[in-house]
Amino acid sequence: MMLDASLPNSTSRARRLRWSRLAEPWWYLSPGLLLIALFIFVPMAIGISYAFQSINLLNPMETGWVGWDNFTEMFDDRRFFKALGHTLNWTLSSLLLQFFFGLALALLLNREFRFRRWVQALVFLPWAVPAFLSGLTWSWLFNPVVGPLPQWLSDLGVLSEPYNILSDPQLAMWGPVIANVWFGIPFFAITLLAALQSIPKDLYEAASIDGASGWQQFRRVTLPFLAPMIAITVMLRTIWIANFADLIVVMTDGGPAGSTSILSSYIFTTAYRKLDFGYASAMAVFLLLLMTCYALVLLRIRHQLLK
Amino acid sequence: MTQRFALKTLVLAVGLSAAMSSLAAKLTVVEVITSPPRTALLQKMLDEYKTQHPGTEIELISLPWGQAFEKLGTMLQSGQVPDVVEMPDTWQGLYASNNMLEDLEPRLKSWDATPQLTDKTLAMARAANGKATMVPYGFYLRALFWNKKLFQQAGLNEPPKTMEEFASDAQRISKLGNGISGYCMRGGVGGTNAWMMFMAAMNGSPEFFDKQGNSTLTEPGAIKGAQLLVDMYQQGGASKDSVNWGFNEIVSGFYSGKCAMLDQDPDALIAIKNSMAADDFAVAPMPVGPSGKAFPTIGYTGWSMFKQSKQKDLAWPLITFLSDKTNNLTWSKFVGTLPIYKGAEQDPFYQTPQFAGWFKELNDPNYVPLTMPTHLKGWGYFNSVIVKESSQETLLGENDTENMVKDWAKYLSKEQKAWLATQ
Repeated sequence: MMLDASLPNSTSRARRLRWSRLAEPWWYLSPGLLLIALFIFVPMAIGISYAFQSINLLNPMETGWVGWDNFTEMFDDRRFFKALGHTLNWTLSSLLLQFFFGLALALLLNREFRFRRWVQALVFLPWAVPAFLSGLTWSWLFNPVVGPLPQWLSDLGVLSEPYNILSDPQLAMWGPVIANVWFGIPFFAITLLAALQSIPKDLYEAASIDGASGWQQFRRVTLPFLAPMIAITVMLRTIWIANFADLIVVMTDGGPAGSTSILSSYIFTTAYRKLDFGYASAMAVFLLLLMTCYALVLLRIRHQLLK
Repeated sequence: MTQRFALKTLVLAVGLSAAMSSLAAKLTVVEVITSPPRTALLQKMLDEYKTQHPGTEIELISLPWGQAFEKLGTMLQSGQVPDVVEMPDTWQGLYASNNMLEDLEPRLKSWDATPQLTDKTLAMARAANGKATMVPYGFYLRALFWNKKLFQQAGLNEPPKTMEEFASDAQRISKLGNGISGYCMRGGVGGTNAWMMFMAAMNGSPEFFDKQGNSTLTEPGAIKGAQLLVDMYQQGGASKDSVNWGFNEIVSGFYSGKCAMLDQDPDALIAIKNSMAADDFAVAPMPVGPSGKAFPTIGYTGWSMFKQSKQKDLAWPLITFLSDKTNNLTWSKFVGTLPIYKGAEQDPFYQTPQFAGWFKELNDPNYVPLTMPTHLKGWGYFNSVIVKESSQETLLGENDTENMVKDWAKYLSKEQKAWLATQ
């Protein structure tokens, strides 16, 4: 009875109390959230808004909202579609080679042998070299006047004569891809090695007592444990590689004849050579959507794997 | 009370003006074509200026060329306006047509060295909008380096005089085999000059536009010039790799004897002289077209002031100091440009056979310097991206010459008409 009588009054107080309880953690979180909003979402919103404006530094007076104009231009641009195709090619071939070499390296490093620590440190070195520097070094290696690679390749019969593959539109993409594979193997090796070392050893012992062969152990024990890690590293790495224009800009600058221009290098050229930030942002937004869709798919797969 | 207030104001004013004057005596100089020895020489000149003008502070900002354009743009946008800026011809048009460069005419009028400058110097100073927006410090004029040994091996004993000889000599030298080719072609960034030069030579005119602002690149003669280069590449007169060659590749290709003819500016002489015996090569004027004329491209760089700079009266003496006859000769010899003063060819340094080609071009009326239309806002993009990509497509047979030239003409006509509209 008493409870009933006091209800109308106390419900509002209880509700306020509950609200403030609910709100309390958000107050504690607010500095972090504010920083995230300030440094991630605000710049992103501004960048996306550029895609709907005409912003060309060469014509600083003619700015303004242009609606979907930048996007219509994009879908009429043959270089854009060429770059999109090259992005797929560049990302897939770099990723697959990096992944398989990285996995192999991780498996090798997971065994016990002498000087293992030294070898581990050495193997991870490429990751520490600035991309700009490795791009320059590789482009010199491919140069027939000063670099050894063209001579070796022609001695092996891969090339008909020692020439620069970076000047051949059919082969040019392999230059940056090879440099990128060299550069990216350590990333997979480091992350996969960490995952390998967390697999309990007794599982392997049990498997070998049951008479499992090496391959069976790899398929039934190693792979299932590695799978979630593989999904996350492949996702991260794909996004990085697709956005990674440094090596291409340094080694070929998208050439010859646009045969190595990928979306991110094309965006770079549009923004900093043509000084057309509006159009560059439109392409960047497209790339962002593409990557988001891809990430959602991979995260879904990872979720399935973890079940 | 009022007395104390007045005293305070006085102290504040004195302090402020002292701060202002100490600020005012600090000049900022921006160098954009940076290399360590070049920076050292510039710094030496600035130090000399400082000893002559006690109390002057000079801060030298050296931007690496690759990022100079963006860096300077960022500096200007953030209000950090330098007092003296090294201004390449390719940027002069952009900054002048955005009305950002100081008009130097009144100052040039009162400078006693102005009458001694060559006519070309003053013409280039005024190239952007008719008013002097820079004091050039030197010229880059195109001439033909030729490898005497390779010519001899191919049974030739003199450099090509006409475009036809140029094309046939290149094929003949390429037949030597061993990876040797006739022409050091620049298919990568910076190849624009050669395209424009050969198109003008075959067309017999240095004009890029008619009066209405339509590009003349689609005239039959000009297309022939472009086709000549395409044929030369596709028929082996230039190396297969050269589709992607830039400055370093063509110059090293020339001095290592991989290719026999190189069109370059005097600054390339520095690298070539160090790696090649002086008897093994010479520099000839560019080959002439059917009209008997050649149009070697001319480039220039100089010193400019920005309108927003707050200490123009202090910056001008520094510009005149850097541009005086002694300093200009020292600087030109070092960076490899042709000097801006009349009679410079009398200097013993310029009397070698290697320089003969350039001074013949400067003094013979059949060699008309070709000025790139750098006054166009979109020239930088045309020069570094459009020409590179589309010419590579054509050289590799993915496009044909006429289509390529039509695209260029369309872009340039639009730019020129936009420029004419603002005049």
